Amino acid sequence: MKRNFEPGRRGVPVKKRLQQVFPFCWRDFLVCAGILACAMLLCHLLRMIDESDVFVALIFELAVVLVSRFTDGYLFGLLASVLGVVGVNYIFTYPYYELDFTISGYPLTFLVMLAVSVSVSTLTTQIKRQEQLRAEAEKEKARSNLLRAVSHDIRTPLTSIAGCITTLIDSGDSLPDQTRAELLTNVRAEADWLIGVVENLLSVTRISGDSRLRKELEAGEEVLSAAAMKLQKVYPQLQVTVCAPQELLMIPMDAILIQQVLINLMENAARHGGTTTRVELSLRLEERFAVFEVADDGQGIPRELLPRLFTSDPHPHGQSGEADGKRNMGIGLSVCMTIVQAHGGTMQAENRAQGGALFRFTLPLEGNRHDDERKNPDR
Amino acid sequence: MTTKEKILIVEDEQTIRNFMQAILSAKGYDVLLARSGAMADTMIASHCPDLIILDLGLPDTDGMNVLSRVREWSKIPVIVVSARSHERDKVVALDAGADDYLTKPFGTEELLARIRAAIRHTRTPASSDALANTGLFRAGELTIDYGKRRVFIAGRDAGLTQNEYKLVALLGLHAGKVLTYDYLIRELWGPSARSDNQILRVNMANIRRKIEKNPAQPVYIFTEVGVGYRMIEGD
Repeated sequence: MKRNFEPGRRGVPVKKRLQQVFPFCWRDFLVCAGILACAMLLCHLLRMIDESDVFVALIFELAVVLVSRFTDGYLFGLLASVLGVVGVNYIFTYPYYELDFTISGYPLTFLVMLAVSVSVSTLTTQIKRQEQLRAEAEKEKARSNLLRAVSHDIRTPLTSIAGCITTLIDSGDSLPDQTRAELLTNVRAEADWLIGVVENLLSVTRISGDSRLRKELEAGEEVLSAAAMKLQKVYPQLQVTVCAPQELLMIPMDAILIQQVLINLMENAARHGGTTTRVELSLRLEERFAVFEVADDGQGIPRELLPRLFTSDPHPHGQSGEADGKRNMGIGLSVCMTIVQAHGGTMQAENRAQGGALFRFTLPLEGNRHDDERKNPDR
Repeated sequence: MTTKEKILIVEDEQTIRNFMQAILSAKGYDVLLARSGAMADTMIASHCPDLIILDLGLPDTDGMNVLSRVREWSKIPVIVVSARSHERDKVVALDAGADDYLTKPFGTEELLARIRAAIRHTRTPASSDALANTGLFRAGELTIDYGKRRVFIAGRDAGLTQNEYKLVALLGLHAGKVLTYDYLIRELWGPSARSDNQILRVNMANIRRKIEKNPAQPVYIFTEVGVGYRMIEGD
C-alpha cells in the first residue's frame, strides 16, 4: 500500500514545482505573442529599407530579453528564444521561408538566445521574489503590531471581567449591595468594550484580505444617522447631533466600514475626551470630496499624542498612561486610518480652538474608477 | 397576556441559551430549547411554538435549512440570530422568509423588542391592533392614513408623492421590522426592477426631508446600513 502511495505523492510536488518554474498565464502569453509580433513587424519594415539581414538576429535577441523581463518564470522566455531562432531562420535569412539549421552559426545563435533568456528570466524572477519577500515582511510587521495592540485590548478587560466575577462568586454574599452592583456594571462595560474590539477586527479582515472594497453609492446622511444611533445605544447620556447638507450626497463607499469609522471616532471622543458631553457629526461637500467631521467638547488630544495618533500603539511603554482606565484607542484609530486610506481618502486630527478634539476624514466622490483600472492589471 | 407565548430557542451555545432562557422566562414567555437543527425540526412539529429564535451556526446543519423547512408549511415568526456580521447573510435570511435578525452580540432590550414586534405581526396582519381597527398608523407626530393614502405630520399633509407614500405605507405596515432594500425595490418597482438601490436612496432622502425635523437624525424611519430600513414601532 505504502509503495503504491509514493509515486502519487512524489508526483504532486513535481507537478507543482513544474508549475512554479513554468507558470502559465494568459497575460504572459499575450505579452510574449505581442512582443514577438512586434519583432516580426519591425524586421519586415526594416527589410523594406535595407536588404541585408544582420539586424534580424539582434532584434529577436532584444525580443527575447523583453519577453523574459515582462513574464513570470522561464516558460515564455524559453518559448520566445525557440520561436525567435525558428523565426529568424525561417523568414528572415537566406534561404527565405525555409528551415535550414545547417547554416553555420545557427546552433550558436540558438544557444546564445537560450542563454540570454534563461539568465534574464532568472534575474527577473529573483527580483520579483525579493520584492514579494519585502512586502510580506512589511505586512508581517503590521500584522504583529496589530496583534500586540489587540491582545492588550483584549487581555485587560478579560482580566477585569474574570476578577469581578470571581469576587462575586467567592464572596458576593459578604459585599454590600452597592459594591456588587458596581462590579457587575464593570463587567458589562468591559464586555461592551470587547465587543467593540471584535467589531474592529472584523472590519480589518474585511479589507486586509484579498477581497477588494465593495464600494457602492450610499447616502451620506444615512450612514451618519445610523452610526449616531448605534453610539447612542451605548452612550445614552451623550448628546449627539448630526448635520448633513440639504442636498442629498451620494458617496461611493463600503457603508459598513465607514459606519465603523464614525462609531470609532465618536467612541474615542466619549471615552478619551474626559469631559465630553456632546459629539457633533457633520458632513459637507468640498470640491470633489465628501468631508466628514467628528467634533467633541472634551479636553482635546494631548499634544504629544497627536503625531502618532493613528499608529497601532499611541501609548508607548514607559509613559504613565492615565491609570483611570483610559485604555488606548490604538486599534480603533488605526482601523479608521486603514479604512479611510483604503477608500482613497485622508484623515486628520486636531484640537479645536474652543476646546475639544476634531477628527476629519475625506472620501473622494469619484476618480476611484481610475484607481481601480490602474490596480486591476496587476491582479 | 392570558396565555403564555411559546418561544423556541434554537442555539448550540449553552451560555447563550441560558441567558436567553432566563430573560425570556422572567418576561413571562414559555421557553423551549433545542440544541441542534434536527432537534429543532421535531420540536417545531410537535410544539408549534409562537416564535422561533434561530441561530444560523448550528452543529449539524446550517440554520438556513431549518428556516426553509419551517417556511414550507408555516408562517411562524422566525428571528434569526447570527454571529456572522456580514450583512449579506442577514439579507439572505430575511429574503428567505426570516422575520427579523439579531447579530451577536445583542442586548436584552433589542432581543425583547424584536420578539414583541414579531409576535404582534402574527396576531394581526397589520403592525398593530389600532392600525387594523382604524386604518391609521400613529407614531409620535407621524400618522399614516391608509384609507386616504396620505401621510400627516402633526396634522399637516406631508405631501408625499405616490411612490413615497407606498414606501412609507409599506414600512408602517411592518413597523418595527427591517425591510430589505431588495424587498422594497421589488414591491415598488416590480420584480424586474434592477436592484439598483440609488433610486430607493433618493426616494428615502425626499421622504425624510418631508417628515423628519432633521433628515440626518431621523426619528421615524431608521437605516440599517447594508440591510434595509425600519419604521419605528407604532404608539
